[in-house]
Amino acid sequence: MSILAQQLVLGLLIGGLYGLAAAGLSLVFGVLKVLNVAHGELIMLGGYAAFWTVALLGLDPFVSLLVVVPLSLLLGVGLYWGLFGFVVRADEETRIKNSLLIGFGLGLALHALAVLLWTADERSIVTPYGGSITLAGLSIPIVRLASLLIALALIGGLHLLLARWRWGKAIRATAEDWQAALLTGIDVRRAYLLAFAIGTGLAGAAGTLVSIGYSTSPSIGLEWTLKALIVVVLAGLGSMLGTFVGGLVLGVAEAASAAAFGGPYREVVGLVLFVVVLVVRPRGLFGR
Amino acid sequence: MTHRLGGGERRWALAILGALALLALLPAAVPREDVINFVFLVLLSITLAQSWNIVAGYAGQVNLGHAAFFGLGALVARTLWIGDTPVAVAMAAGAATATLFALLIGAAAFRLRGAYFAIGTLALSEILRITVGNVLAEISTLPTATIGAYQLTHRYYVALGLAALSVLAVAALAGSRLGLGMQAIREDEEAAEASGVGALRLKLIALALSTGLAGLAGGLFAFYHISYYPAHPFSPHWTFDALLMTFIGGVGTLHGPVLGAVLYVVLKEYVALRWVDFHLLIFGALFIAIVLLLPGGLVQAAERVRRLLAP
Amino acid sequence: MLEIRDLDAAYGDIRVLSGVTLSVGPGEIVALLGPNGAGKTTLLNSIAGLLRPRAGAIRFEGEDLGALHAHLIVERGLALVPEGRRLFGGMTVGENLELGAFAPRARPTKAAGFERVYGLFPDLYQRRRQLVRSLSGGQQQMVAVGRALMTNPRLLMLDEPSLGIAPRLVRSIMASLAEINRAGVAVFLVEQNVQAALGLAHRAYVLEAGRIAGHGAAADLLRDPHVRRAYLGPLAVRE
Repeated sequence: MSILAQQLVLGLLIGGLYGLAAAGLSLVFGVLKVLNVAHGELIMLGGYAAFWTVALLGLDPFVSLLVVVPLSLLLGVGLYWGLFGFVVRADEETRIKNSLLIGFGLGLALHALAVLLWTADERSIVTPYGGSITLAGLSIPIVRLASLLIALALIGGLHLLLARWRWGKAIRATAEDWQAALLTGIDVRRAYLLAFAIGTGLAGAAGTLVSIGYSTSPSIGLEWTLKALIVVVLAGLGSMLGTFVGGLVLGVAEAASAAAFGGPYREVVGLVLFVVVLVVRPRGLFGR
Repeated sequence: MTHRLGGGERRWALAILGALALLALLPAAVPREDVINFVFLVLLSITLAQSWNIVAGYAGQVNLGHAAFFGLGALVARTLWIGDTPVAVAMAAGAATATLFALLIGAAAFRLRGAYFAIGTLALSEILRITVGNVLAEISTLPTATIGAYQLTHRYYVALGLAALSVLAVAALAGSRLGLGMQAIREDEEAAEASGVGALRLKLIALALSTGLAGLAGGLFAFYHISYYPAHPFSPHWTFDALLMTFIGGVGTLHGPVLGAVLYVVLKEYVALRWVDFHLLIFGALFIAIVLLLPGGLVQAAERVRRLLAP
Repeated sequence: MLEIRDLDAAYGDIRVLSGVTLSVGPGEIVALLGPNGAGKTTLLNSIAGLLRPRAGAIRFEGEDLGALHAHLIVERGLALVPEGRRLFGGMTVGENLELGAFAPRARPTKAAGFERVYGLFPDLYQRRRQLVRSLSGGQQQMVAVGRALMTNPRLLMLDEPSLGIAPRLVRSIMASLAEINRAGVAVFLVEQNVQAALGLAHRAYVLEAGRIAGHGAAADLLRDPHVRRAYLGPLAVRE
């Protein structure tokens, strides 16, 4: 019984990262109506950025977030200006289709680039500290717990940003009705740019936490894009906190499935849930 | 079926079939295994690309789960063939399984809007890959007797036949009432429905044709490889390859996927560095450029160049 | 103040407006009448910058608006209350109003703007923390007008404000518009409710099948037999 509980706890811990990964995708999809399927590759790049920041600058792994997140924001600005800014000129249906295709090409190119630059080997950031704390007979690895808390803090920060910041409200308004937002005097293209940049920043943060607690390699992109997609579909659009909870749900569901059917089937439950929710309730569990 | 294939496309169809006919002489003219293997790969890629083109180009839906049908075709064909079923029957059974599966999920899948259809089919294909990978984790190897009797040229001619079949299938589809109806759906589904075009029925027919061909290609894969992991043909990279080849060549055209397939395999062969899929970097960038600037792919580019040169 | 000359507008291949010429002077209330499908909403959307015209000129206070993005037109002092209100349903009344003061021209006057809007619509002050989608149609219309007022406009355009609103509330909204006008804001009003519109406006235009079919002083148009027959019906009752 405690083995199951232990597995569920570990699932919860990675679930937080699923939630963070999904939050960026959800923000971009909700505001720009653009499905960036290269989101997983952005997470992968974040992981590598963190790895090299720690290796070259000798920073504490978690402190590397202070370098990686701003870099990711800049990358987001660049990708919007250079690529996705053109996609938003079309109507919603075309936007989604084009962004799917462009994200696909981008992901492919980024994956190949990563292998070219850093080889296909897995990289992991080793922290000078480690160990676990014991709570109610369960062993909780400190590094992963810290990652979960940081992810939660970032999501909380994002929620506040969207609720209180002037441009955060503008972003929410644009997500609801971009034409009405224009009529209210909001520069919708600027809102798009900000949302995309923040989404990429979140991906960078997620990637950093992934490479600290787990590992990164060029091929994690597709896997994390799928995880993010599953959570977005499960949780629906519109609530960052809801997305985070969706991530936790996926993490726990995976752990339960692995315990019930064996490790190799861990991924399958998420995918099955995904397909079921897509067909039965496209709005997701929390979405409006 | 009135033959409504445009003049240009008809010429291309004949040219491609002519080229394929010429290629029948290849094993006799150039009896080198590496050359035959290379052309085999081109032929398999043409089949895969054309099969994907049917749903994407003619029914207007991006199917990211194509590998599922390739994989199912391979799985069933391999299992039956190793169990002493004649390979032709085994391959047909593989194709039938793929088509059956497609029709089972088709009605539900087509209820999803474009992007959700794409990622939904991807999820389904991944479910199959992981499940097959777990249930059949060991390499599938041909029995020694079969390896001893292996003839590359047999596989080559099957590949040639399949490639020709896929081109003919697309040609027949494009020139038929079905094709016209599909074009109507692609351009404006609501209007088409209103004027009596049964959209779902047409999409299912396209899906059946597409997955049947993919299943046959899978059977060919099973026939060709001496050993492979059963989950390998379910890998999404088969879908992505087909997508890239078709789009870059020109989705919805007859000759686009053929051109794209040839370019893709040639590039892969000559640009591949030690471990890097460098050709993917190029193709990824090319793909983005095409989606943004030249949705008709290389075919459209060639058209523009031709019009520029010829007054 | 607002001058439209020979405006042509189209959606794809479908021509909606042909050679529309009209004007709104400072401090005026001008109404635009016409049947469904005449192109009234298209005209307002073109002025507001949501639709690029095919030909013709739109000038606001001497400046050509043709190529400007919609939010920059708001910045010039021209605000539109769109058809169906188009509020941000998931946000509160207060947040919707606050967003109205988003543009740089409106930020310094935000506090004054709130006072003005809550003064005109005291009901909204009580509901300022309520989610907009839980309000009634009439209350939502008040929020929509209020949000446009927050942009500190010199010209306020409204697309069918009385649609789906109870008659009593329609009168109230018209009264509010009159008060807004008295405070110096010009009003350009598209309305199906011809009675209410002509009761409020100084002048009016009639748009039929994408062309201006008539214009004049509101009082004159009320008496015009064609207008009465087409828009007021045989049993029109004078307000």
